[in-house]
Amino acid sequence: MTELIQNLIDGLGRGSIYALLALGVAVIFGVMHLLNFAHGELITVSGYVAYAMFNQGWSWYLVAPLIVVVAIIASLLIERVAFSLVRGASDFTLVLTSFGVHFLVSAMFVMFVGARVKTFSEPGWIADTIAIGPINVEVFDLVVIGVTIVTLLLTVAILQKTMFGLALRAAAADFDTARLMGIDSNRVIRGAFALSGALAGIAGIFWLMRAGNTAPSSGIDPMLKGVLAALIGGLGSMRGAVLGGLALGVAEVVLRSQLPGEAAALTEGVVFALIALLFIFRPQGIISVATAERV
Amino acid sequence: MFPNLRRDVGFPFLGSVALFGLFVGSGLLYTSLQGGRASGNLITAMFIDAIMVVGIQIYIGNTGVFSFGHIGFGAIAGYTFALFAIDPVDKATRIADAPWGLAEVGTGPVLAAVIAVVVTLVIAAIIGIGLARSGAQSGAVAATVITLALLFVTHELARSWVRLTGGERAGLAFGIGDTLDSRLPIYLALFASILAARLFAQSRAGRLSKAAREDDLAARAMGINPIVQQTIALLLSVVVVAVASSLRVYEVGSVLPGLFFFDYTLLTLVMLVVGGRNSVTGSILGVAVITAAREVARRLGSEGYEFFGIGLDDAPLDWLFREGLPRVVLGLAMVGFMIWRSDGLLSDWEMDNWLWRTFRDNPKMPDLPGPLEAVSSSELQASDVVVAFGGFRALDGASMAATGDEIIGLIGPNGAGKTTLVNVITGMVPPTSGSVSLAGQDLTGAPSFKIARAGLVRTFQNLRLFGLLSVRENVEIPALVAQQHRSARKLPSIDELVAAAGLWEHRDRRASELDYGNSRRLELARAAALGPQFLLLDEPTSGMSDSESLQMIEQVRRMASLVGAGVLVIDHDLNFITGICDRIYCLDQGAVIAAGTPEQIQADPQVRAAYLGVSAPV
Repeated sequence: MTELIQNLIDGLGRGSIYALLALGVAVIFGVMHLLNFAHGELITVSGYVAYAMFNQGWSWYLVAPLIVVVAIIASLLIERVAFSLVRGASDFTLVLTSFGVHFLVSAMFVMFVGARVKTFSEPGWIADTIAIGPINVEVFDLVVIGVTIVTLLLTVAILQKTMFGLALRAAAADFDTARLMGIDSNRVIRGAFALSGALAGIAGIFWLMRAGNTAPSSGIDPMLKGVLAALIGGLGSMRGAVLGGLALGVAEVVLRSQLPGEAAALTEGVVFALIALLFIFRPQGIISVATAERV
Repeated sequence: MFPNLRRDVGFPFLGSVALFGLFVGSGLLYTSLQGGRASGNLITAMFIDAIMVVGIQIYIGNTGVFSFGHIGFGAIAGYTFALFAIDPVDKATRIADAPWGLAEVGTGPVLAAVIAVVVTLVIAAIIGIGLARSGAQSGAVAATVITLALLFVTHELARSWVRLTGGERAGLAFGIGDTLDSRLPIYLALFASILAARLFAQSRAGRLSKAAREDDLAARAMGINPIVQQTIALLLSVVVVAVASSLRVYEVGSVLPGLFFFDYTLLTLVMLVVGGRNSVTGSILGVAVITAAREVARRLGSEGYEFFGIGLDDAPLDWLFREGLPRVVLGLAMVGFMIWRSDGLLSDWEMDNWLWRTFRDNPKMPDLPGPLEAVSSSELQASDVVVAFGGFRALDGASMAATGDEIIGLIGPNGAGKTTLVNVITGMVPPTSGSVSLAGQDLTGAPSFKIARAGLVRTFQNLRLFGLLSVRENVEIPALVAQQHRSARKLPSIDELVAAAGLWEHRDRRASELDYGNSRRLELARAAALGPQFLLLDEPTSGMSDSESLQMIEQVRRMASLVGAGVLVIDHDLNFITGICDRIYCLDQGAVIAAGTPEQIQADPQVRAAYLGVSAPV
């Protein structure tokens, strides 16, 4: 029982990061129908900036907000130089464009910075645990869960209470109609990329804290987690993305602790296989968004 | 299997020979000019990449379903090949305790390649069922996830199942001198795969699959169940990919998890989309272009200005000429082509199609055949159809009947449920209750492709042609379905239908290039080509001028009589409806409020009330 609760908290900590990433993917999918395989590159970029600043003697408290800012800027920049040029193109074009951007960014880091992994020190408290009754909880998990809750509440507030949020939700529901209703599509899309960048930045802080390093290929993992979680939840559904992220995190932790011996090393493979099965039996994800085509 | 032997077998064979010759010839020319072992290896790798890319093209090009997973199939094939082909002596040092006694097996490369193909095929068949299941409902995105998951599962297995694969450090490797020493198998495989890809694209299955690629819904409405063709495409493409992967492992001499992962996925996809994913010729061109670009980038990266034969002390471009340049070039090519030309250099151009159009004898426009007797006994009946979306009843107990020699109109104000009724009849919307039958056969809730095969075929309010296919091909596709699934009635030929639609001089143009009126006529001819009992036309005159819609009356009558079909037509244009129909049903708020001859309908007070929005004087 204690083990289960411990796993659950651990999984929720992990899943919170995935949820933030997935929400960023879902926001962009909502306005542009783009499955963003370049989402993880925001973390690669922030990772290198963080590394540079650590070398300048900055502490995590200064670097953390910087990471968010860098992720927002990178997100807007990528939108400007690549995605804005393929707006409204077919799914095929959109997927391959983001796939290409993903490779391009990592290739540029190989070329200009080098393929070697750059390490930096994790914050001192990362391995601390506190005992709540019989359960030992990582402080890190609690911080992640706490920050994620605050971030999600803020995001909900933005989506529900601001004009921009209303425009974004309208655009996600029906982009063409939203445009006809006078919503400035440029602003909505850029806003979506900024929001998505901010979410990736916050997730990136924790991702980098735990990893303690960055490399040209660092973006693959967070990208996959974000995209898969968004898909599990049902693309386009923001609630689904958050649930998908949490589910993915808990599933990983539980599987790793429950699978016997050799198979535990295969956790990632098993998770992927489960996701493939989910899509075979429920192609629309957990929460389905009505996309019935008009005929 | 092939609609026209000369066009679909003869010319593709000639075209494949030419394509193979040009590609291999230019590769060999390069090695002989360049000399050296390195250029030979580069060209060998390029030939193998070409087989792989053609294999992927067979699936992506013909189905339009995007797959990340083909390199995952490649990994399965590559490892299977290595496990069987490598001599037990060489395996002993790496995977001495492999499961199922695989450490002691050594079949030699040929048998190993056969085993690799079979194993990969079995796995592809299982995954194909999954793809078919999910693709049917939500298309591209689910397929992308499943194929991506396949790529990662195989990668994880290759990394983690160290007892079988040697893991990330050791991998599996052939003994020295045991690797591929002749290009002959590569040539054979390359030619066979080019030919297979071209033949499949021209075959009946390939054509139906391309129709579904262009418009899944319209393909179903033409009696195509794309799952069958997509599965054939998947299996054929996987065979080619498995052969290419075996050759790749054999040529490299070892296999590690990274050999079939993201980098190779990117490389092959870039090659495919740069040349043109819908064309075999384009895929081969893409392989050549990307191989050349990558080689130039590699040498620029390692040699810098030396590459141009000049040595500069203060080189201004040194920031660019670095190790990682080839990867940057690949990424740029992918993004750049998606922005600039997402259909690739050649789009769907094929050498053999071009040869065929150039060298065939130009047929003369056929005379129109006489009308075909309508099957008056075939009665279409919809009874008490209810469709509820939540609390809203789009149809609320609508009933109608029509016989096969009638032209029936369906009118009503916007939102009356006309299109919904046609959607229910053609199986695109399941009714909440009620039934649909044709000639006594119950069709309620049947899938739309079965309903089309039973003899009910529709057109769409918002045109849904097979855009990239030619005008003639648009008509040919339902004719192919009719040959297999419709009764033995002697239908007019494809050319006769194209001529009757007034599209003879446009027959080789792409459907997407037609103007609006011609597009409408083509959609009508395409529907007629299935030889249906009933044509269901959803607003055939929408967006037309008065004179055009009068011409449409003639057009509809002619097409219906050519194939002996009854007509059910929805339209807003009352001149058109009263001019063409024998009887009219008027719908309002989901129910039939009046039925009768055009004169009776025009005089009906309830109809006028529904249209004008005033309550009828009783």
